[in-house]
Amino acid sequence: MLDQTIKEIRSEIDALLPTITTNDQLEQFRITYLSRSGRIASLYESLKSVPKEQKPQFGQLINAIKQETESRFESVKTTLQSSTTRQASDVDLTLPGRMLPKGTRHPITRTMEEMKNIFVSMGFGIVYGPEIEDEYHNFEALNFAKNHPARDMQDTFFVKEDVVLRTHTTPVQIRVMKNRPLPLRVIMPGRVYRNEAVSARSNYFFHQVDGLYVDTNVSFADLKGTLVTFAKNFYGNDIKYRFRPSYFPFTEPSLEMDITCFLCKGKGCRICKHTGWLEVLGAGMVHPNVLRNCGHDPEKYSGYAFGMGVDRISLLRYGIDDIRIFFENDVRFLNQF
Amino acid sequence: MRISYKWLQNYIELNASPEDLSFKLTSLGLEVEAIEVIGKELDGFFVAEVLDVQLHPNADRLKVCKVAVSSSEQPLQIVCGAPNVAAGQKVIVGLAGAKVPHNQHDPEGKPFVLANATIRGIESHGMICSAKELGIGDDASGIVVLDKKARIGTPITEHLGVNDIAFEIGITPNRPDCLSHIGIARDLAAAYGKKLILPTLKVKENKKSSIKKLTNVRIENSTDCPRYTARIIQNVAVKQSPEWLQQYLTAAGLRPINNVVDVTNFVMLEFGQPLHAFDYHNLAKHEIVVKSAVRGERFVTLDGKSHTLTGDELMICDGEKSVAIGGVMGGMNSEISNTTNTVLLEAAYFSPTSVRKTAKRLGISTDASYRFERGIDPNVTLQASDRAASLIAELSGGEVLGGIIDVYPKKIVGKKISLRVERVNKILGTAISLSTIAKFLVSIGITVTVAKDKKSLLCLVPTFRPDIELEIDLIEEVGRLYGYDNIINKTSSEVMFSKPDATEARISEIRNWLESNGLNEIMTNSLIDTSSAQLFSPNIVTVKNPLSQELEVLRPSLASTMLQSIGYNYNHGAERLHFYEIGSTFSTEQISGKQIHVAGYTESRILGICLSGFAGDISWYQKLRKVDIFDLKGLVLSLLKGIGLDNSNLIYYNAPSSLTEMTVGIEINGTYVGFIGRIKSEILKNYKIDQEVLYAELDVDSIVAIHSVKKYREFSRFPTVVRDVAFIVRKEISVGDIEKEIRSFGGSSISSVKIFDVFEGKVLGEGKKSVAFSLSLNSFEKTLTDGEIDSVMNRVIGSVTKKFEATLRSL
Repeated sequence: MLDQTIKEIRSEIDALLPTITTNDQLEQFRITYLSRSGRIASLYESLKSVPKEQKPQFGQLINAIKQETESRFESVKTTLQSSTTRQASDVDLTLPGRMLPKGTRHPITRTMEEMKNIFVSMGFGIVYGPEIEDEYHNFEALNFAKNHPARDMQDTFFVKEDVVLRTHTTPVQIRVMKNRPLPLRVIMPGRVYRNEAVSARSNYFFHQVDGLYVDTNVSFADLKGTLVTFAKNFYGNDIKYRFRPSYFPFTEPSLEMDITCFLCKGKGCRICKHTGWLEVLGAGMVHPNVLRNCGHDPEKYSGYAFGMGVDRISLLRYGIDDIRIFFENDVRFLNQF
Repeated sequence: MRISYKWLQNYIELNASPEDLSFKLTSLGLEVEAIEVIGKELDGFFVAEVLDVQLHPNADRLKVCKVAVSSSEQPLQIVCGAPNVAAGQKVIVGLAGAKVPHNQHDPEGKPFVLANATIRGIESHGMICSAKELGIGDDASGIVVLDKKARIGTPITEHLGVNDIAFEIGITPNRPDCLSHIGIARDLAAAYGKKLILPTLKVKENKKSSIKKLTNVRIENSTDCPRYTARIIQNVAVKQSPEWLQQYLTAAGLRPINNVVDVTNFVMLEFGQPLHAFDYHNLAKHEIVVKSAVRGERFVTLDGKSHTLTGDELMICDGEKSVAIGGVMGGMNSEISNTTNTVLLEAAYFSPTSVRKTAKRLGISTDASYRFERGIDPNVTLQASDRAASLIAELSGGEVLGGIIDVYPKKIVGKKISLRVERVNKILGTAISLSTIAKFLVSIGITVTVAKDKKSLLCLVPTFRPDIELEIDLIEEVGRLYGYDNIINKTSSEVMFSKPDATEARISEIRNWLESNGLNEIMTNSLIDTSSAQLFSPNIVTVKNPLSQELEVLRPSLASTMLQSIGYNYNHGAERLHFYEIGSTFSTEQISGKQIHVAGYTESRILGICLSGFAGDISWYQKLRKVDIFDLKGLVLSLLKGIGLDNSNLIYYNAPSSLTEMTVGIEINGTYVGFIGRIKSEILKNYKIDQEVLYAELDVDSIVAIHSVKKYREFSRFPTVVRDVAFIVRKEISVGDIEKEIRSFGGSSISSVKIFDVFEGKVLGEGKKSVAFSLSLNSFEKTLTDGEIDSVMNRVIGSVTKKFEATLRSL
């Protein structure tokens, strides 16, 4: 009777084992035959009812089938493990890979970081300042007299009579010149606000990177050299540029830098208003009044300052024709960067 | 400022082409923003002669003309409907391809392009034009008949003398002297090394009658009006100005009005001195009094607008009433009209500050106020007055009365500034000699004396350059005339590295980490509407002069604007929205700490994270599912870990927040840095979002401040044993508490506790759940024996089953 059962089990196992191709099937096999409540374990239970004299014989048989099954199980297990890596020919490589998620950085951040990196490599530190600014830092200390037409250059949002949303990042210059020891070489990136109607080309807020270098012997020639180094790094070694006199209350002499329009290469197009040139930054020597306002002697110290807009340059770099798209944050836009 | 190329040539000999001139102007700091070729719209129109006129066989009102457009070619046949066309006339003909500026038959007068046509069976090869059609006059009743002497074939712009080039120049606020043709010519003369040619001023006065008998000028407020001059021109006939004057003004962007007003505008654009002409007979008592307005006074300006005055405005008055707002705009009551016979001509100098305040307050900006507020030359007054008086007399048939009234109590003189050569070269980084510097300065009208030590120059700055106040301003002039491009670029300045900025590096790390894990950086507006803002905070910063109601207040929370972007994308069908933004938020509340304060406002730099929609993309290897709070919790904690902040502690709030539910606060080393949660549905409704949005907010400055270089920690080199254990507990027992219990009772031999299964089901019984833990055990001293492991496990099982009334579930 028992030997019949053993035979049955053996033939079952013989039939089953070669068909096992997965770990699940193998586990099922283990539970059915080899676990504590499996078929082989139950053989030992049946042994109890076998006459005493036959026990050793059957015991041996059961032990044999147990050992044999265990070793066959192990060998199938090993085979299975080695073939989890499927046959190369069975794999459809055109199935997509398991992709890692892809995030993106905003194009304005990208432009700003590129600018920052160039200046940092030239020895500039980075400083931030508040977006809600008092009139003193935003205008007065920067040599904008009250009731001077220069204030018309920047339409201003007011929070209180003498508190504004900063119209440029230049007030941070005052903060650093007052709070940090000279010499000083820093850039000041950030968001600024102008009370101007929103259109494809202009927005009521945008981003700037201001720069400042004050030391005992800084000249206009240093300023030009720094700006050319930056421009060549940022816009490419082959650009043409020009400097023209301009006016900012906080610098004297002042300049604006143009580079050849990189869309039309100077031939004149819609983007450069048919002039062939793109204005990329304003700069100048820190006005003696500004140095004095920060407690520094203009006879001893001189310095240069510059500032550039990030958004407009980003438009040109990425070939975008409407500035508003930057702040819609449409994923179809964001995912392109 | 628009400059006419033709007009400019009265003051300087120019050989330069318009392009060269434009380049030169820009390099002087007078940036040419646009060049307009005037008369371009009349290309294709020529002087022609009508040789023969016949009636059109098929139309009563049309005529068939033979017209000669050049002396050599065959005459053209042109059908013409004008009643006044006749043989022998010199006329203006447009040929096929020319664009007629004004279509008389179109209700809007839209331009059209001429083509050869057949009109009622007769071929027509062009068009004889009226003044209206060409936009050179208002007469539409018939064709323009030119002077007999007009030469056939001459382009019409040349014949009319309207061929000019206008330069649109951006004049910076520091250069009021360049708001005139002479001012621009002066800078060009200096740059080209040429002579500035000023107009000769000879006034033919009627010596027999003196102005003093007819009028009288009194200044009561000489602070705001340091100088006032008057001239009188009698017997004027107000009419249209001659062509040359109209053309100059048109080229410079002004509309011709009548000969008197046109002359005042002409002289303003020539010398930069705004002038005003009064009708003398409308001046009560025939006198001028310059004084401050009366508070509450009402005054109607030339443009017909009525203004209520505050009393701070400077008014030009006659014997009874105000007749002009000084330097801003004249009044309706004394305007020049067709019947004006005697003109009182004002040429004055008003204080820039006073004019600016008044113009700003009244919201008026005129060519005059624009110049006065930037500062005109107080000493060009007489020249301008003389120039205008003699031109008015000449063009109107009038005569200038003898003398001029000039009330100028305190003469304004030029500033004296000393300029050190060494300073010039130090600031500019150049080596320009004293004599070259002197030459530059002299060329722009500065009187220069060399100091005794030959190291500096004593400069007398003319009053037309109010911007030159300090030595540095003279240095700019030297730099400008030397040429910015001629200053050699210096790149050898010693590199001085600032302390590397740890903050920047930390922020970069955060960005990199978030982007590597699938988040899009967004950048949102900082201004929003009041009612949305109030959903987030009661302490809102309001803008006093907003662009619109939608942009009235500064965002109190990044969520307030990030949700706009989530909403926008959600409503455009985007399905996976994983956003982050680093930006400022604003509050009227003063929060002590490291945040930036200006005038009591608090500004915080915040990292906001929004997750909404699907967790991943649709794929063959994993099921699509929506994000939930555990995605965000995992993301934020992984981020903190990823940037090296291991010691985060979570605070599970019971208190409701106005913004989120399921809110969990985050502390690092005991410092509160932010929270995570699910945005409440009433807020989402405001943004028209109908799916869950999970939001985390971290204070960037707090996070980056917690930073130290990682130190190595020893790890156990003995084998680790993994044991699994599952408990059945009541549903409300939190897994976190069980985990804490396991850690504390397991002691140092438990190196990690992982939860690998949580489920509820009928099998477990009502109100029960099963939680399965996988524990890793090891020791720093030795390989743990089975006995030691069992003893730890028993301790853990014992304490958990006791504390949480748990039962052990066999695995």
